[in-house]
Amino acid sequence: MAELGVENLNLRFGGLTVLEGLSFAVEPGELFALIGPNGAGKTSAFNCISRIYKGEGRIRFRGQDISALSPRAVARLGIARTFQHVELFPHMSVLDNIMTGRHARLSTNPLQRMLFTPAVLREEAKHREAVERIIEFVELEGVRHAHAGALPFGIQKIVGLARALALEPSLLLLDEPSAGLTRDERDDLARFILRIKHDLKLPMIWIEHDMQMVADLADRVHVLNYGRTLASGVPGEVLSHPEVVAAYLGTAKLDARSA
Amino acid sequence: MSRRPRASGYFRTGYAQDLKLVETRTERWSLSAFLMALLAFPFFASPFQLDLANQVFLASIGALALMLLTGYAGQISLGHAGLLAAGAFTAGILFKEMNAPVWVTLPAATIAGALLGVVFGLPSLRLRGLYLAVSTLALHFLVVYLGGEYEARRGFSTGIVIDAPKLGGWTISGGRTWYFILGAFAGATLLLCLNLLRSGTGRAWAAIHAKETVAEALGIGVAAHKLLAFVISSALTALAGALFAYYRGFVSVEAFSLFLTIQYVAMIIIGGMGSLLGAILGAVFVTLFPYAIEAAIGALPGAQRYAGSLFAVNYAAFGVVMILFLVLEPLGLVGVWKRIQTYFLLWPFKHRPMPGSRR
Repeated sequence: MAELGVENLNLRFGGLTVLEGLSFAVEPGELFALIGPNGAGKTSAFNCISRIYKGEGRIRFRGQDISALSPRAVARLGIARTFQHVELFPHMSVLDNIMTGRHARLSTNPLQRMLFTPAVLREEAKHREAVERIIEFVELEGVRHAHAGALPFGIQKIVGLARALALEPSLLLLDEPSAGLTRDERDDLARFILRIKHDLKLPMIWIEHDMQMVADLADRVHVLNYGRTLASGVPGEVLSHPEVVAAYLGTAKLDARSA
Repeated sequence: MSRRPRASGYFRTGYAQDLKLVETRTERWSLSAFLMALLAFPFFASPFQLDLANQVFLASIGALALMLLTGYAGQISLGHAGLLAAGAFTAGILFKEMNAPVWVTLPAATIAGALLGVVFGLPSLRLRGLYLAVSTLALHFLVVYLGGEYEARRGFSTGIVIDAPKLGGWTISGGRTWYFILGAFAGATLLLCLNLLRSGTGRAWAAIHAKETVAEALGIGVAAHKLLAFVISSALTALAGALFAYYRGFVSVEAFSLFLTIQYVAMIIIGGMGSLLGAILGAVFVTLFPYAIEAAIGALPGAQRYAGSLFAVNYAAFGVVMILFLVLEPLGLVGVWKRIQTYFLLWPFKHRPMPGSRR
């Protein structure tokens, strides 16, 4: 059974068709790249999956229909995401940002928290320990007490990734994690993505513009253009598909870049 | 909210220690010295000074409650005076109509505040910023109108007189007794706020304050947390209102004008948004300010001639101070305090190292 199945997803804003008949399935442990030119509807597809946009069509997560749930319920099921523009909470420390990502896993009630009962203390300490494991996983030890808004953009992106991982998700949606990163930061990011894939065995849907990274890392690629699917399959085939090359990569050949 | 590690000398061995409110020996000593000073104060203070301290305690409860709502959860409310009135009138009406004892009226006022908090909070699910402020303002007028109607219908047009509260055989009266009671309430409110803010609720509020959609996508119940902020804040405010009624022994709608709301908003702005210490500093400042102006004018030569314009001067000076803070020190009194602290902590250097520079 597929981890996430999207069947015939449509999204319209007034007269504008953003997504038209989008269908794909992500298999367990798969790194699934979603690519396409600007405005193709990649982020809109993410917003439909995390239910910030209400698209028509069916989305199944491990067999369960999630197309009528609230964004909060989707997060609680274990679908975590990062954002294209990071969207950290700038005045909170890195630590608190990541702790906030665990909110769906907290179980004490406000009354207990007001009195700060031993249960709350135990819970906070337990989750802090989990957050520290994630901080170690993505190598953010040096900045854990820094204000998120004061950090360089590249590190903010990694904090966003850590916040998504904090949910202990079963599916991770990465929205252009490499955009705006330097070459070194991209190398780090590629390492973290591979580490998530191999150590945590998390299936990921990954929106990406860096074709070299996609070609190197992705298991399968799905190409969108104007909300419609152009091609889908293993990176080697898809990226050399003539329509994809024409619509997205321009007329230059992919080989020209890596040469 | 997690705290930075100490510069040196204190080593933490578990994550629970990060959450302690008082950690080092110096902190423990200075806190106990401060508490001792607070406990000793009423035995040296004049009745006038005691009354000032009691007013500060009452204002602190209200300011802390408003700070939770506006400074942390990011929900603007102009209904604060209405909520204080609701608490005061709940206590007053229950006393007048049923002769209810204080251990009934205080919880009743708190519950009334919590229920009103739901009503005040419902617009926040749809409205933001100024629109929300105006909707809470409407509720303020509704509450004050109902209070006024009650006074008029029952023939208490000058206000409701409340007897000194009795607990068992003990009558609570006198500035010194009230000092300890109000101080205990203010201390408990502070502790409650601190606890909420260092747990998941505080993080959820901060997240909603910063980015609502993101908070929701992270699995935070945005509507529930907004309402929770309104309920807790309103319950505390109504409690402060009821305590105010008992302390003054008198309830009247005139005390709960829009100016009172503005004073509370001023407290959290002058004190410093997003800081509990700021709420308390703001409460101290705004409460003592008119008395300071009065004393200053009284010290002028020929003070008698200015006595008539004292009221106007007070209002004007209050406005000027508000503007000065907004323009010159948006971080409020806490900003000033933090800057002094940082100066001494970093000396002889001027700036903190860049975050992440050790990476």
